[in-house]
Amino acid sequence: MFSLLRVDTVAKTGRMGRLFVKEATLRQILVVTDGCSNSGMSPVAAAALAREQGITVNVIGVIDKSELGEKGETEIRDIAEAGGGLCDIVYPQQLAQTVQMLTRKAMTRTIHQVVNKELQEILGDSGIEELAPSKRVQVAGMVDELGEKSNLNVVMLVDTSGSMKPKISAVQQAIHDFSISLRSRSGQSRMAVCSFPGKHQHLDVRIPWTDKVEQAHQLTPDLAMSGITPTGPAIVEAITLFEHIKLPQALSERYRESNVEDGEGDLRDHVF
Amino acid sequence: MSFKVATPDLPRQFHGKWNKNVYHVLRELGRGANGAVYLTTQGGVKRAVKVGFEGMDILMEVNVLKSLQQGRDSRVGPLLCDVDDLVLNGRPCTFYAMEYLDGDQLDDYIQKAGVEWVPVLIVQLLARLDILHKHGWTFGDLKPENVIVTRQDKQVSLIDFGGVTKLGNAVRQFTEEYDRAYWHAGDRRSEVSYDLFSTAVMMVRLVVDSQTWHMSLGEPRQTQILCDIIRKSDSLYPYRVPLIKAFHGKYATAHEMRAEMLAILRESTVAPASPAPTKQQGSGTGGKWISSLFVASMLLLAGTLYYAWFL
Repeated sequence: MFSLLRVDTVAKTGRMGRLFVKEATLRQILVVTDGCSNSGMSPVAAAALAREQGITVNVIGVIDKSELGEKGETEIRDIAEAGGGLCDIVYPQQLAQTVQMLTRKAMTRTIHQVVNKELQEILGDSGIEELAPSKRVQVAGMVDELGEKSNLNVVMLVDTSGSMKPKISAVQQAIHDFSISLRSRSGQSRMAVCSFPGKHQHLDVRIPWTDKVEQAHQLTPDLAMSGITPTGPAIVEAITLFEHIKLPQALSERYRESNVEDGEGDLRDHVF
Repeated sequence: MSFKVATPDLPRQFHGKWNKNVYHVLRELGRGANGAVYLTTQGGVKRAVKVGFEGMDILMEVNVLKSLQQGRDSRVGPLLCDVDDLVLNGRPCTFYAMEYLDGDQLDDYIQKAGVEWVPVLIVQLLARLDILHKHGWTFGDLKPENVIVTRQDKQVSLIDFGGVTKLGNAVRQFTEEYDRAYWHAGDRRSEVSYDLFSTAVMMVRLVVDSQTWHMSLGEPRQTQILCDIIRKSDSLYPYRVPLIKAFHGKYATAHEMRAEMLAILRESTVAPASPAPTKQQGSGTGGKWISSLFVASMLLLAGTLYYAWFL
């Protein structure tokens, strides 16, 4: 599926667990939105594109008093489906725990799929479903352990169009909270936070790749609240944040620049 | 609300693919993050059956229940009876059947029976947690909804093992109100102290009315708020020392916290007329008690100075 493991040799020696851990890096984009996209390419297509490149797309719909509407719900479900991820619709108060849960469940699922593929090669077409549940329990334990130990890179993609305004404080809380969850893992974890629409592009990088988010509260002042919701283009740009993907020239210059800048900023923070 | 993590509705009757046990579904008992639980009968015996689409999560719960069943010590949760697959709406699902525990959810029970039950049941709960911890797990998602009090013998039992996590890993599931990180009191690593923190918050939650509770959930989320509630509550005040120690992760084991809670509980039940329930003395349980309390009180001295405002 992607560079998770050296499939052939591993499967044949029957030691996928051990090697898997070394190789595994899981990549996810987590979209936090409250409505339908209304600008640019289809977010469902964008999610499918992400999945093709080994990135899982999860979506959380945040609702207030007003419901999302059938169209919004369908879009959220379709994005997650196409992106190989999970989705949920929650109130702002539940955002933090939902972020953690969706991320973890999506990881488990990705690893499960990879392990299942391995098993299919060993067992024939049917894979894990042909194992008795008592055997599968052991596989589950292994999948869980791999989920804990593997590296995880997550880009949080926050919709900051006008209607999100009342929910932004919950989102900030959730960002900080998520960083605690990531820190509690045994495997290496990194996250980046982007908002869309951006000032000039489809997306602004708010917090570049980091393993520690202390500065979530700084997010507020320059969040541009705007009417358009370019979910699709934002997903496409978020894909380029993952280093394993070669950036198109135009984007690469832009992001490399901002990464370096912020990297130094980070360093300065640590020095003091 | 969550449709992707949604769980299927069971037909009135189904059977497992491997073990061929036939289940008659009576009603739904509740829903957790990993699946739905139904009350069923199987061969004339009542069983609770949990079904979910994400097989791995269900199997992890089975893993935990199995490991707990290997020890012969007293019980933590329901006994596991069967693990099997069924096909629902054309999709394969994994389910497991467990012994049906008839009882009330912890908070419902307190509502009915009164707050005097809170310390008794918390002490019981700590004993259950101690066993779980000794097996190398933490419960994780500890909250009143995941604890029941059996109708017959008034025993506390943990239900919903979806949050149970291997010691040292990241907690699999949590609920913000009882989560250590939410209260800015630490991270989300699966440690004994994580569960004990949730236990202490739960004890506070069970004693106060829901209005006071919801007011306390605003900003800033700090354990200071919980301390204020404890100071004002006659039911909680005697237990302030173990509660605060739990908030600060000072206990290495659930057993330790249980011992201190139990000592206070004994004190208050032996001498209910005493106006000063703060004195701690081992009431005739031997020198071991007194010496351990002495050590504890030495430890507490520093803490007491720190919390001088509290006295």
